[in-house]
Amino acid sequence: MSTVVSPPTQAPRPDGGSTHPQSRARQLPAVLLRALLTQRIVLLLVLLAAVVITMTTLSSRNYLTAPFDLPYMSSALISAVPLVMLGLAQLLVIASGRGGIDLSVGAIVSLTSMVFGFAYGEWGWPLWIAVLLAAGFGGLCGAVNGLLIAYVGYPALITTLATYYAFSSLAIVINDQQPISTAPIQEFFSSARSIQVPVGGGDPLPVPLGTLTFLLPTVLVVWVLLNRTTYGRRLYGIGTNDVAAEWAGIDVRRTRFTAYLLAGVISGLVAVVTVAQFASARPDAGVTGSGMALPAITIAVLGGVAITGGIGRVAGVVLATLLIVWLNAGILLAVPGNAGSQFQLFALGIVLVFAALLNGLTSRRYGTTG
Amino acid sequence: MSSSTLAPTDGTPPGPRAHTATARGRVLPFPITGQEIVLIVVIAVLWAVLAVATPAFLTGGSIVPLLVAMAPVALIGIGMTIIIITGGIDVSVAGMVMVCAVVVAKTMVGSGVSLPVAVLLSVLVGGVLGLVNGLLIAYGRVHAIIITFGTANLFEFLGLRIFGGSTVNGIPGTLGFFGRGDAGRTLGVPHSFLIMLLVAAAAWYYLRHTAGGRHLYAIGGDADAARLAGVKVQRRVLSAYVLTGLLTGLAACFVIAQGTSTLAPNVGTGMELSAIAAVVIGGTSIMGGRGSVLGTVLGALLVQTVTSGVTQLGWRSQLASLFIGIFILIAVGADLLRQRARRTA
Repeated sequence: MSTVVSPPTQAPRPDGGSTHPQSRARQLPAVLLRALLTQRIVLLLVLLAAVVITMTTLSSRNYLTAPFDLPYMSSALISAVPLVMLGLAQLLVIASGRGGIDLSVGAIVSLTSMVFGFAYGEWGWPLWIAVLLAAGFGGLCGAVNGLLIAYVGYPALITTLATYYAFSSLAIVINDQQPISTAPIQEFFSSARSIQVPVGGGDPLPVPLGTLTFLLPTVLVVWVLLNRTTYGRRLYGIGTNDVAAEWAGIDVRRTRFTAYLLAGVISGLVAVVTVAQFASARPDAGVTGSGMALPAITIAVLGGVAITGGIGRVAGVVLATLLIVWLNAGILLAVPGNAGSQFQLFALGIVLVFAALLNGLTSRRYGTTG
Repeated sequence: MSSSTLAPTDGTPPGPRAHTATARGRVLPFPITGQEIVLIVVIAVLWAVLAVATPAFLTGGSIVPLLVAMAPVALIGIGMTIIIITGGIDVSVAGMVMVCAVVVAKTMVGSGVSLPVAVLLSVLVGGVLGLVNGLLIAYGRVHAIIITFGTANLFEFLGLRIFGGSTVNGIPGTLGFFGRGDAGRTLGVPHSFLIMLLVAAAAWYYLRHTAGGRHLYAIGGDADAARLAGVKVQRRVLSAYVLTGLLTGLAACFVIAQGTSTLAPNVGTGMELSAIAAVVIGGTSIMGGRGSVLGTVLGALLVQTVTSGVTQLGWRSQLASLFIGIFILIAVGADLLRQRARRTA
């Protein structure tokens, strides 16, 4: 699988049967099935539509505790902000190949939250400098991973497991286990509020501010980086076959190092978002429960990022997040209380196993796919 | 999609261990590897330092809890070692511990079953969960880390459903045989530690001296080559996950025995990472094809020594994670250096 060169941006055309125009009409069902099975984006769109239609139907028949409508869907996006951003961080490192993965993103979020809390809440730095510091500090943590993995040759899984332990420990020790929630930090909560965005002719939708200030810029930057820069081509190149990339004159180590560095920068920005959401810089922000890393990896894999490297698209990660976020939001309305959050785990697990099995099936039936 | 494609092992040969049929005994490496000797030295140094720093360290009151606490992690680590040798991984063991523990705890509270029944039940539940992982991984041909991320969520869901939103209270002392107290010791040695050692010895012998064990290394070295050489790859991989499930079930009993009479839904949290840490510190290669159970037991002992030591020195307990992280990096770094030396020699 690692030897197959598959251009990730230019999807294989589903209408491959155009060489036999006379049988094209008869092939249509097969072509559609193939597109559904091999194009992760198509599959995600269909699933997303299914979720939204099911939930709206349930809602219109009053099975849900509250209406599942556009305002509800758009305010649910608040939980998509860290998921998409960390999912993109995983996309960068997983696409870089050689078993790339980053288990430490949650720990970086915790540690950077504390650093941001100190800078903005304790030392009274201006907000934009504190945000820059958070991004820079996250990048520094990512650089530690990148240095060990790309230059020293450590396996990514182990390195990031070790830094997960180290960063999460430092985050707790740095302020003696205490969260920072001084006045500026508490007022910072206002940046996690929703703003009313007029859409079309209808009522304005409440859109969480974080989607506009953090999510959209990150998505745009990562998309441009992967699809419109030479760095993106290099990253997919080393992920597909790093020996070939080396011979093609690519600085494999530097490219892989940069991927982990960028994942750290994104985690640093997620830390700022998390501080705003909690109105407090918490030392365990990114590692409570199952942490932030595992959901992020799940989102990336669901979005079609191949764990073997070299394959993965920004749109897949975004669609996978929307699917999970709206599915979760719907489950919360359908199953109220504690059981709702439990069924969310169930849904995430089932969707992930299903998507993974489908990957295995399609790669046997149609060869490796994007 | 074979399991070896996760990481093209930049030219590292799977090593001569995979071929044992011709010259028996000669090709097997020395029973104890460099990594294990280093670990023994490191643990000895740590124990000596701790004994000097806090005189209370080298007493039964301190060593027994240490051995009891390391037993479940080491037990799961033994299964994890076998899985990682085949080139896989299992991040769902924390969820498995939770399901097994809550099923057993509820049964004991509900019907007061005896010790053997409780253990059997836990091991069976673990085995079934392991079977789910194994079937999906071996026959679904999907990489283990993805499947086990998925089943981790499913197991956690299952466990939380059985918990039903509250803790399990009033657990009887049936499992005291594995616990910290007097009932859990023979001649001062905790039973859970002894059982773990027995399992480790059996696994060590199986991996080193039986054809089945060598097949596991062959699969981790190159699954396709192993298949062509006649190894039933899928069946072997399946058995590795089932075995880990069984061991995790037993470990869940240890976990219950170590706790109080109340079981909270956070039982098992983080155990997947500590088990993987023990395996990795023990020198097992995450790429598969190389590793030993002895190293894992030593790794678990090191991790637990650090955890206990930090507490006994009166430091903040979370500092232990920092040291564990550093130990992982040192252990893997030493392994990388040795590999490099072997390649250039």
